[in-house]
Amino acid sequence: MNRNTLTIVISAVLVVIFALLLFVFQVRQSETAVVATFGKPTGQNYDQPGAYFKWPWPIQKVYKYDQRVQNFEDKFSQTLTADSSMLLTSIYVGWKISDARQFLQVFPGDPSVSLPNAQSKLEGMLRTAKSAAVGRHPLSDFVNADPKALKFDAIENEIEQSVQDELRTNNYGIKLEFLGFKKIGLPESVTQTVFDRMKSERQVLISLAENTGKSEAQKIQSAADAEAAKTIANAQATATRIRAVGEAEAAKTLPIFEQNPDLAVFLLRIDAIKQSLNQHSTLFFDERIPPFDLFRNLPTNAPAH
Amino acid sequence: MSDEHEHHHHAHEAPEAVDSGSQALAEALRSSFAIVKVVMLLMVAAFFGSGFFQVGPSEKAVILRFGRPVGGGASVLLGPGLHWSFPYPIDEVVKIPITEQQTVQSTTGWYFTTPEQELSGEELPAGPSLNPAIDGYAITADRNIVHTQVTLHYHIDDPIAYIFNFASASNSIQNTLNNALLFTAAKFKVDDILTRDVDGFREAVQARVSDLTDQEHLGIVIDNCQVHSIPPRQLQDIFARVTDAQQNQSKQINVANTYRDTTLLAAAAQASAITTQAAAASTNYVIAVKADARVFADLLPRYEENPYLFAQQKVAETMAMALTNVQDKYFLPERADGKPREVRLQVNRELPQQKTGANP
Repeated sequence: MNRNTLTIVISAVLVVIFALLLFVFQVRQSETAVVATFGKPTGQNYDQPGAYFKWPWPIQKVYKYDQRVQNFEDKFSQTLTADSSMLLTSIYVGWKISDARQFLQVFPGDPSVSLPNAQSKLEGMLRTAKSAAVGRHPLSDFVNADPKALKFDAIENEIEQSVQDELRTNNYGIKLEFLGFKKIGLPESVTQTVFDRMKSERQVLISLAENTGKSEAQKIQSAADAEAAKTIANAQATATRIRAVGEAEAAKTLPIFEQNPDLAVFLLRIDAIKQSLNQHSTLFFDERIPPFDLFRNLPTNAPAH
Repeated sequence: MSDEHEHHHHAHEAPEAVDSGSQALAEALRSSFAIVKVVMLLMVAAFFGSGFFQVGPSEKAVILRFGRPVGGGASVLLGPGLHWSFPYPIDEVVKIPITEQQTVQSTTGWYFTTPEQELSGEELPAGPSLNPAIDGYAITADRNIVHTQVTLHYHIDDPIAYIFNFASASNSIQNTLNNALLFTAAKFKVDDILTRDVDGFREAVQARVSDLTDQEHLGIVIDNCQVHSIPPRQLQDIFARVTDAQQNQSKQINVANTYRDTTLLAAAAQASAITTQAAAASTNYVIAVKADARVFADLLPRYEENPYLFAQQKVAETMAMALTNVQDKYFLPERADGKPREVRLQVNRELPQQKTGANP
């Protein structure tokens, strides 16, 4: 009896396990699931983790999808901007399955089949939206030093909006989480042109630096020279003033000399002679200049006797 | 199991016919049933024992119970060590290879190198142009090309979001890095990126990355980011020459500033010399005039006594002194006809101040 009970319990456990496997399915945190009854999606989306009931195969089949944000990027491809520049761009998106039932309806089959299908659909949408948006903007909207003129964000938003709209209209069960430029480039031949332009810009900078260096230095030097000359001129003016004060002081002695102007003039002349006939001078004189007038009227030759 | 059950049944149905053979059989069945019990116990032990798992030093683990993470917030992540969970299908262990700090690097801003070249530090010489299929770069606001690379260090703030909302969060982050480089370069000029405002560029890149990762709810916190930018290798020489020229420019200005300082100092010195000299000369002049005045006052009485004699005496004295000092003296006797004699002098220019005594 005891053994019978054990046997019954064990078989019951086996039956329960078997039943669980048949009637219950688990949804992980990262998953979303939908149940198809006879191949047709029915019922709700199971996007919360947990264990759920289903009828066993072949009545119902569970389709589980990764509900996490998937990364996807389109091919690096050439697009013409509004001002006819050739631009290569690649876009990355984060997308996820937001409505598993809808997704299964649009992209039937196993995820290994339906996911690549969905991605190529997405790529097509991206390509269309991208070339439309890029074609609406000139290159100056992509790169610009003026933050107001830069439309980088706006272009990304345009593309995102248009893809988002299409996803909604067609009800793919897919949601776009984010979108942005991953890579922007120029055709290979254009890079060479850009290099040439950059080179000439550098050349301009070099000569600018050389010239401004020279002219700045010259400016500083001539300003310094002018200031120095001004300082000296000022000093000379001061010197003249000082001398004038001296003259005025000296002039105070004039009344003394005025007592006898004849003597004053005579003394000045004596002084002048003393000063001028200093060293390194040659003097010519004749008999009329005192004291040599002593020689005058002296017989030059003794009279012959 | 059902087989054993049947054998068991037989043993009970024929208790009268207990012969040695069936007894041996019952004995054998009993012992084999004991073995089965031990095996079942072992299996149960193995079932629960299989719940033990180890987490390595550079990974974390999350336990999912019926698909739902166990614990909340940071306690969801199990660190390195030995842990236990219920076996499948109740629990499931998800291991994540992450360390405390994560690092991710941008991919689309640098020219093409192979991993071997990066290791050896040797690079192929640059071609004349950049192949868009393999070479990466960013276009600057002034439509120059630069190579630029950002390395982001971050840590995971919200592991549930990071692990369960993104198929590959680090790839998403890498894409935001690439996007941030393009976006930021698009509004910076080449010289700002490379030299003038390297920090500003770095900050703008980080701000963009931070904006995007917040918008995308990646559940990370940025620790820091490093940005490295260079001009295209094809133009490295000419970029270096610009730097040289600019350094030379500031050197020239420095030289000019030095010149200004010395010139102004010299001028100030000269100016002070001029005024000092003037002051000294003026003082001396006044002293001299005053002395003259004193001499005059002294001589005046003697002159007034006999002006003629005084004058003669002074003239004679002066002439004597002058004649002593004068180097060359020429006496010109009067011509017999009484007319003035004509004397022609050839003055050598190089001798200073040869005086011509033109006499009346």
